[in-house]
Amino acid sequence: MKRNVAVIGGGQTRHAARRQDVNQVEMVNEAVRAALLDARMTMDEIDAVLVGNMEFFEGTHFTDCWLVDGMGAYGKSGLKITTGGTVGATITCAGAHHVASGLFDKVLCIGFEKQEEGDTGAILSGVAHPLYGRSMAGAAVGYFAMMGSSYMATWGAREEHSAMVAVKARQNARKNEYAHLKLDITIADALNSRMLAYPIRLLDMCPASNGACAMILADEKTARDRCDKPVWIRAMDTAHNEQFELDWSDVTTKRPIFSRVSAARLYKKMGIGKPAEFFDVFEIYEPATWAELVWYEDLGLCGPGEGFRMIEAGKTEIDGPIPVNPSGGVLSTNCIGASAMLRVWEAALQIRGEAGDHQVPREVRRALTTAYGGTNWTVLIALSAGLDD
Amino acid sequence: MTEEMDYGVFEVDQHITAHSRYYAGWMGSHFYIRLRDEKKIHGVRCESCAKVFWPPRSTCGRCFSQLTADDLVEIGPEGTVETFTRVDYEEPVHPRRAPLIYAVITLDGADTGMAHFLGEVDFDRIEIGMRVRPVFAEERKGHILDIAYFKPV
Amino acid sequence: MSQTNMPREFISVPMTVDVPYRFAAGKYLTRFLKELRDNGRFFGIKCPSCGRVQMPPRIVCAPCHVRNEEWVELGLEGTLVGFTVMYLPLTDPTTGKPHEPPFVYGAVVLDGADSSLSHLVNVEPDVEKIKVGMRMRVVLRPREERTGDLSDILYFEPAAGPVQD
Repeated sequence: MKRNVAVIGGGQTRHAARRQDVNQVEMVNEAVRAALLDARMTMDEIDAVLVGNMEFFEGTHFTDCWLVDGMGAYGKSGLKITTGGTVGATITCAGAHHVASGLFDKVLCIGFEKQEEGDTGAILSGVAHPLYGRSMAGAAVGYFAMMGSSYMATWGAREEHSAMVAVKARQNARKNEYAHLKLDITIADALNSRMLAYPIRLLDMCPASNGACAMILADEKTARDRCDKPVWIRAMDTAHNEQFELDWSDVTTKRPIFSRVSAARLYKKMGIGKPAEFFDVFEIYEPATWAELVWYEDLGLCGPGEGFRMIEAGKTEIDGPIPVNPSGGVLSTNCIGASAMLRVWEAALQIRGEAGDHQVPREVRRALTTAYGGTNWTVLIALSAGLDD
Repeated sequence: MTEEMDYGVFEVDQHITAHSRYYAGWMGSHFYIRLRDEKKIHGVRCESCAKVFWPPRSTCGRCFSQLTADDLVEIGPEGTVETFTRVDYEEPVHPRRAPLIYAVITLDGADTGMAHFLGEVDFDRIEIGMRVRPVFAEERKGHILDIAYFKPV
Repeated sequence: MSQTNMPREFISVPMTVDVPYRFAAGKYLTRFLKELRDNGRFFGIKCPSCGRVQMPPRIVCAPCHVRNEEWVELGLEGTLVGFTVMYLPLTDPTTGKPHEPPFVYGAVVLDGADSSLSHLVNVEPDVEKIKVGMRMRVVLRPREERTGDLSDILYFEPAAGPVQD
């Protein structure tokens, strides 16, 4: 990076199924005010405001205009970005680029979704190719269901493994005051929940949440002057997959390639040989349980086909050797536009030692976050406590 | 290119129908409840900027102050036409059939305007600076059309 | 947030947006869809660089960034590589009508192709009876009902032949 970039503050709303008490502006404003308070900054000091959500999910366009007052963006530079589920991380990446370039010192990044307000099914159907796929739009559930059935057939995993992921996520979320779904569930509960699309059951999928996340990124001088515990962004990578679903090279396990390609590039950039040992905590974007098992493999935490053995052995529990999603992950909170940014913010909280009851019980100096866009790309971000980590 | 054959043009008509529900939020709800139940129009005052905004909002866009329900102030009911136009063409998304006349009206006491219909007036008689007053709908439900239109005073 | 800020009820407004679109298929997809509609044939395109056969045909192979011009006719049979049993009534967005659950939905790699095609599978929705690796055959609508869309395919159904690993 041309200049070092740190997260010097952040905030999130209490994510919920219903937020009738606020409109989109007010909801975003809650996260923005929390971030400014955390960073001990005023809005006047912010140089640019970047905002993202899932396009048209709320039935409103020009979100950057709508939200101007609540974001404090009046008169300021900024961007609006929409990249599907990965947008929270895309915004973070764009914010980091703004600061690293030397053109901006303090950038406010915002991700949000007021999911109850929109017709997500109808809008998601717009993702499918109009002439080649839209009549068969299987929705997100069908996509992950095929991933799951293919994974089981290829590697011998069972539905219990999906249930283990579901239980880990929700039990972790019970320790996270901001999470949406805090469910005291067991494996049996997960296996008995309603089947949506084989093998995906209700408890295997993420919820639809209303919520926002905001973070303030700053240059090194500002970070050292103003922040007790800056969290450094060390590297980022993203890779676009082939066009949605139609062209995947690896059809046998219905798995997209973006995660493997960008992980490999990021590790190369940072000279990482063994990511499971290098990073102390992982916050990954898992819209469904099977996606988490696939992430373990694509991130190189284990070999191909071994993802389900990791969860079986408890390796990714909050107190395990490779903690994954101590926050409860996307399976517990999915305000889509914010979800990928929440991974970064939760990782930052872990590094700061401020994750409260869901803090992993070990020293956290390095974290890796991932994102997942329905447009099939990701932004991976590596964070650390110090520039020498 | 091999096998050059003209396959012509192929186009497909589709449409997407999306149903959404927009929440007014806590400040907006105050506005609409008072409009519906009391036939009173409110703006919100930012103490720092000494300005009254319509529609009411929870954060002042200019100075980022947090505004509260106590900052709501009644505006109008009369106001001044800042600008106006008559729409003579039709699109499915238009709220009314053509011709429809609408204006930006700055209600007394507000610093920003409201876009709304003008009624009971000939287009040729409308002037910038004209004074108008709201005509409320008989049945109101917490919607901007609880004001049916504005008419000359 | 002080309690006096909270109104006694929360106001909301429902809205419906109905947007018409007209999509142009472009050169390659026009040929693909017209061959499907008029002749009941499936075509893929072969990349001269990596040899991959892509359906639907694309002008450029994405990983190789090379122009593709070799059209390859594909078989009407293939191998099931993934499936699910849907318990949710999913609406076909182009007709507005739902597919009644439970139904099976799967991805098939047609003989000769390297990419898969997802569609309804006409089998009993019993996970014990469906296996990745099953041989499938495409069943098309009669010519007069085809419009040049994936819905010209009625469904996949099991074809005779051994399960492929």
